[in-house]
Amino acid sequence: MSKFTKELINDYADKLLIGLTKEETDTIFNEFEIIEANMDLINKIDGISDVEPQHYPFIIKSVPRNGDKIINENIEDILKNSGKVSDREIEVPKVVG
Amino acid sequence: MELIPVIGLEMHAEMKSNTKVFSPAKNSYNDISNLNVNKIDMAFPGILPLLNKECIEKAIEMALILKCDIPEIFMFDRKNYYYPDLPKGYQITQFNKPIGTNGVLTIDVDGIEKNIDILDIHLEEDSASLDHYSYFSLIDYNRAGVPLLETVTSPCMHSSKEAVAFLDTMKYIFRYTGISDADIKRGQIRCDVNVSMMEKDSKELGTKVEVKNVNNINNVEKTIEYEIKRQTELILNGKKDEIVQETRRYDEATETTITMRSKIDAIDYKYFVEPNIPPYEITSDLINDIKSRISILPNEKKLKYINELGLNIIDANNLIKNKDVSEYFDNLINLGCDIKSSVNWVLNQISDYTNSNNISINELYLTPDKLKFIIDQTILDKISSKQAKELFNKSLELQKDPKILIKELGMEQINDIDTIKDIIVNILDSNLDQIKLYKNGKTNMFDYFVGQVMKETKGKANPVLVKEILSSELDNK
Amino acid sequence: MLEELHKKLISGEITSKELLEQSLKKSKEIQKEYNPYVTICEDTKETEVNDNILSGIPYVAKDNLSTKDILTTASSNTLNNYVPFFDATVISKLKDVGACLIGKSAMDELGMGATGTTSHTGIVKNPWDKTRITAGSSSGSACLVATGVVPYALGSDTGDSIRKPAAYCGIVGYKPTYGVISRFGLFPFASSLDHVGVLTRSVKDAAIVVDNVKGKDELDMTSIDLNVNLTKSLTGNITGKRLFYIENLIDLKNYKNPSNELTSIITEFKNTLNKLEELGANVTGINIDDNLLQALFPSYLCISCAEATSNDSNLTGIIFGPRGEGDNYVDMIKNHRTKGFSSLIKRRFVIGSYVLQKENQEKYFLNAKRVRRLITEKMNNLFKEYDVMIMPASGKIAPKIENSNDVISGNEQVLENLMVIGNFGGYPSITIPNGFVENMPIGINITGNILDDANILNISYALEQSMNYKYQIAKEVE
Repeated sequence: MSKFTKELINDYADKLLIGLTKEETDTIFNEFEIIEANMDLINKIDGISDVEPQHYPFIIKSVPRNGDKIINENIEDILKNSGKVSDREIEVPKVVG
Repeated sequence: MELIPVIGLEMHAEMKSNTKVFSPAKNSYNDISNLNVNKIDMAFPGILPLLNKECIEKAIEMALILKCDIPEIFMFDRKNYYYPDLPKGYQITQFNKPIGTNGVLTIDVDGIEKNIDILDIHLEEDSASLDHYSYFSLIDYNRAGVPLLETVTSPCMHSSKEAVAFLDTMKYIFRYTGISDADIKRGQIRCDVNVSMMEKDSKELGTKVEVKNVNNINNVEKTIEYEIKRQTELILNGKKDEIVQETRRYDEATETTITMRSKIDAIDYKYFVEPNIPPYEITSDLINDIKSRISILPNEKKLKYINELGLNIIDANNLIKNKDVSEYFDNLINLGCDIKSSVNWVLNQISDYTNSNNISINELYLTPDKLKFIIDQTILDKISSKQAKELFNKSLELQKDPKILIKELGMEQINDIDTIKDIIVNILDSNLDQIKLYKNGKTNMFDYFVGQVMKETKGKANPVLVKEILSSELDNK
Repeated sequence: MLEELHKKLISGEITSKELLEQSLKKSKEIQKEYNPYVTICEDTKETEVNDNILSGIPYVAKDNLSTKDILTTASSNTLNNYVPFFDATVISKLKDVGACLIGKSAMDELGMGATGTTSHTGIVKNPWDKTRITAGSSSGSACLVATGVVPYALGSDTGDSIRKPAAYCGIVGYKPTYGVISRFGLFPFASSLDHVGVLTRSVKDAAIVVDNVKGKDELDMTSIDLNVNLTKSLTGNITGKRLFYIENLIDLKNYKNPSNELTSIITEFKNTLNKLEELGANVTGINIDDNLLQALFPSYLCISCAEATSNDSNLTGIIFGPRGEGDNYVDMIKNHRTKGFSSLIKRRFVIGSYVLQKENQEKYFLNAKRVRRLITEKMNNLFKEYDVMIMPASGKIAPKIENSNDVISGNEQVLENLMVIGNFGGYPSITIPNGFVENMPIGINITGNILDDANILNISYALEQSMNYKYQIAKEVE
């Protein structure tokens, strides 16, 4: 049985700052049993927990940037797409807490 | 019932570097908002983090100073949460493979040494800053992406005094090594403080309360004191249950702490490996290279001054107070200067001069090699200490090499025995009464004759030779 | 195609301006019929023809590639007004050689989606049959190449987002080894799986384009050099090349009720294997553990959705994108995201969030990454013995638009999503046309070892020479 509930779905969506319509919640709820069953195929492989997780496609050598070169952007460029700008800054409703 | 406070700290320090940790924007405080910003700092779609080598090396340096285990590779992780000061919606930090683990820092608490266990030290990025107004807030991204070094201690401290001593020592190291300016006024040091109360002789820790984002060392002290008082009172009044595992914040106005969120509301940050930064391999070559560049820490240096150079504690302490000063001194010693003279010059004449002119020792015209000349002249008795001071002052005043100046000032000594002897004979011949006094036991007349010779030669006669010849001439009288 | 166009431009038989005008004219016609564009750059100017083969020739870029001063939306309402101030590396490289960008192609929103039906600008239709999907997410790019509007288009590929639409539209889709084309400026779907690649109508054209945009980029730490001239390595000689296919997925006995489509596709596939043998290659069937194969798609779902929830957390409407309404920042962001994302995206995000929860990470997210290791280790071992893997690009022809959301299971599911192997291991992978089933194009996929791009291209080049689908343009079936 799926331990998935509609409340849980809404909670996950809420934490991602997404609202779901009732239909959307229902759709996810209905398909989740299939998805979960599907995902459980991952756990059917013998000895899976002994394998080291692979985070990258293959080993890539990390070559950090020499930190000397400075690149600052133009103020016009960085602000031009924002819906609300005040002088040199981006404005949002008052942030509390 | 005796209660013991148990305190752990997470100290965030903004690192000093040319550019930010994951972007090439300038890393520098600026009053003009959104000046030091790269597209990476604002998470425009399609940007990728670009790791800064300078930050890695400084982080490794700090990990080495704290005697941490350094992993062979380190990786970055994403800490996911939404807040207007976090453009990407996640902070790049180190969760699984921090740059250092399992370290220790020895601190001095009222003359008693104490080891503070370091659980881990890791590199991460700072958030943007929010300026709050009546009805809105403004976002300034200058700080977004500034490198932060977070040091996490075990809950091993038992008083605010120990916590402050730890933070002061860390601050000192940061400044001394140049890893961070640790500028309190600019909020470069911020702490999360964990406090719980444990019953004496009990092995069970009390309920842990975390106070987040305390922004300077004084406030850390007040936070701890307040929490100790608050928790102690609750326990003694039988309200132990009211101490809950929660996150609080320090309120500067009331000097108290206030509940932010309880454990049930704790945020799940959904950490996972940052896929855009490949694992970074820390080779032993790199570690050795960084080790060789690590400035010896003040305490180690102090011991070296006392044990190897034979300095007294006061002088040693004075020398290590400032990194540049001690390095200047080290250079003098490395150049082969007399130790005692070097100490005197650095702590007296140089210190006076730099203080009164408000310059750093690195700006001094007399670099160690130039000062060495002056020191050597006095050691070889080629000039008197008075002349040496004059040479020092003139050299600084005229910005002229003492090697040239010594000739221009006519300070070169008379070392010719016959010349000195002639002068002495002349002086003795015209001071017969004084010779009589000397012969009758007034031995301080010897200095009078020396003075006369020096007056005659404008101080250029080699004092050692003068004394030798004078004494034999007087014997012959 | 590109070579011929270049010759014509050099000789003056045609000018860049004429080429551009033709493309723009056709763009408008095709847009009306199939809806492949987010933006047609009508004001674009012809470019100067120089020695570079791509100079003066029009192309299209998927709308998740950042283009300076050109609207870039990733087909999402969260970005429906976003005009970047910088070019993706792949775009600036093409600009540098004088290529001419004429438009931005529609895609499944933010790259998440396999149908081409979830763009904020509507459904992209298959140019061979308007009632069918193109597949996605590089749906618009596939459509525009298949209809001959442009000789090539840029795409991106996280699971099979270039290679599946290429198969359904009867063209070539190639994603090089991970990192060979910089991801700087690509709006991410799942960073550890995302590739930039190209859609063309011939293998050689694919090689030519990638030769011009490949290479280590200081703006992408995961980018790498591929020190081979791909175009020059197309010899057509594949004598002695060793290919393998996964026998247990090709054996119809392993399917409960194989559809006619699947049966025909496998027949075509086997014919092609024979052709390869005739060309001098050795083809071997091998078996891979069914449990591992079954776990591939769920693992892909876990990893890609998880990375996507995080990658798309910058879509808050604060710095860019339409501002949401609300008295506080939470409501404001929530309003932006709720209005901006389609239902499909929201579903994927909920999955991503679920598998990343502290209590679920081990079981889902990390186990998925363990599956990722098992399959790449398996493939790496196979690539020690064989040059490349060859498989059908799909077990189906392009589905009808209304059937595009069918939930599938069993071996059909495995075959349908097998190309994710190329993303798990970052392997170079190419799909080329392999004929027709029920008058719809089908594709064949060749995947090789990392940085062995020349090998997969040369084998597909040889195969292409032996078939008649090179340069084919979609002819709508009635």
